Amino acid sequence: MAPGVSQVAQPAIEIIHLAKAFGSKVVLRDFNLGIFPGENLVVMGRSGIGKTILIKCIIGLVKPDSGTLRVFGQDISKLNHHELDDMRMRIGFVFQSSALYDSMTVRQNLEFPLRRHRRKKISHSIDELVLEALTNVGLESAIDLMPSELSGGMRKRIGIARSLILNPEIILYDEPTTGLDPITSEEIVHLMLELQKKYKTTSVIITHDTVLAHEAANRIVFLSDGIAYATGTYDEMKSSNDPEIKQFFTR
Amino acid sequence: MAVEKTGSRTLFSKGVDNFFESTTEMSRFTVNVFREGIKPPYEFKEILNQCFEIGIKSFLLVSVTGFILGLVLVMQSRPTLVEFGAGSYLPAMSSISIVREIGPLVTALICAGKIGSGISAELGSMKVTEQIDAMEVSGTNPFKYLVATRIMATTIMIPILTVYADTIALFGAYTGANVTDAVNLSFYFNRVFSSLSFNDVIPSFIKTVFFGFAIGLVGCTKGYYSKKGTEGVGEAANVSVVVSMLSVIIIDMVVTQISSMLGYL
Repeated sequence: MAPGVSQVAQPAIEIIHLAKAFGSKVVLRDFNLGIFPGENLVVMGRSGIGKTILIKCIIGLVKPDSGTLRVFGQDISKLNHHELDDMRMRIGFVFQSSALYDSMTVRQNLEFPLRRHRRKKISHSIDELVLEALTNVGLESAIDLMPSELSGGMRKRIGIARSLILNPEIILYDEPTTGLDPITSEEIVHLMLELQKKYKTTSVIITHDTVLAHEAANRIVFLSDGIAYATGTYDEMKSSNDPEIKQFFTR
Repeated sequence: MAVEKTGSRTLFSKGVDNFFESTTEMSRFTVNVFREGIKPPYEFKEILNQCFEIGIKSFLLVSVTGFILGLVLVMQSRPTLVEFGAGSYLPAMSSISIVREIGPLVTALICAGKIGSGISAELGSMKVTEQIDAMEVSGTNPFKYLVATRIMATTIMIPILTVYADTIALFGAYTGANVTDAVNLSFYFNRVFSSLSFNDVIPSFIKTVFFGFAIGLVGCTKGYYSKKGTEGVGEAANVSVVVSMLSVIIIDMVVTQISSMLGYL
């Protein structure tokens, strides 16, 4: 385990025997995992294997069929609507498509979580928080632009800024570098690491990008056949003799 | 909670299954609209915003259509009425036709095309690009914020648009009457208002409320349940227009029948 990762603390996220199927298609079968505070966990696996469903279960967007999923010690399935909202204030989610609201400016996109989480106590003014979030991602000048005027990399940055604006303790990244050129991908990875260091967040990163996994992961989980098929550091994964893992890491 | 479609198995035929699936979705949706819509806190700001987006931006289209409709109606009916020596009934005939049937129906059909497809395409693309999920993780109930507000806005705005369209159509009819004869404005409108009664106006107004609700409901349902991908969004918009137009015509028939049974015709 990497320095800075708490080994003795209670896991920030604890997943026990998680199962999810869509009709006859079993996505998660018996998934078990603990994610510790301060950790950068990368989840890898083939497309359509259930990685996104896994993080959507963590934030309560998808309801698992069975199993237990505890975040900060609380069972997600037992939370009522308000408790789930309170939990979501502590978790940021960076969507694969950035999911910026097309009809709103960048400023309104960033203000949205601040205005909507009604029970969140905000220490600074909304304008200050928006500006701080944009400064963090180096896009202060984009404040009044519409999402359609932004490039793919800028959209990703704004997506990250929006997920960070409530100062969450956990950030879930869904394929943050997909569709970006290598240079922009590199910038996004550095930004993620910088922000993780600054805010001391726990990160769960879904990706196919082995470069991102190499640079960001304290630990990698390889998802296959609905289970946590293998867990280890990047070097351990790369030197694995398992044919599926080997194929994935040596392509 | 995001809606995920599960794997499907054909029970009857694809068409019959789709019909039942669609009816079930719509029924479940209607229940949710009422359940979420009546629960505080209310999204007044978003309802006003949608009233502007849906209603105010349709005024020009409704104006042009209403005016031409009134004009053409009078120009086409006049020769027949004159032939039977009933030319003086032109204001009464045009106003009753416009207020009772043509105004509400044409406004609703135009709105089904413009507003219904717009809502459906917007919600569909929001779903595809995960904006609905993003709202949910930002402490917002998307059903309340996106769906209930749009249905409320169409239910409020379509009756208002209809009243406006009726008025413009009556001016169109007056213009039509002036193409061949010189008719005094106050005389024309005196004849219009003396021929209209409570029984003409109220049932017609009530049915526009149902039209508005149906257009909003169909547009939102089709958008919210659209399949992933751009093709799914296009299909949702298309189906939304067809179903909402059909719903408007069926509601029109049912309300007319009920009005007739209650003695309002």
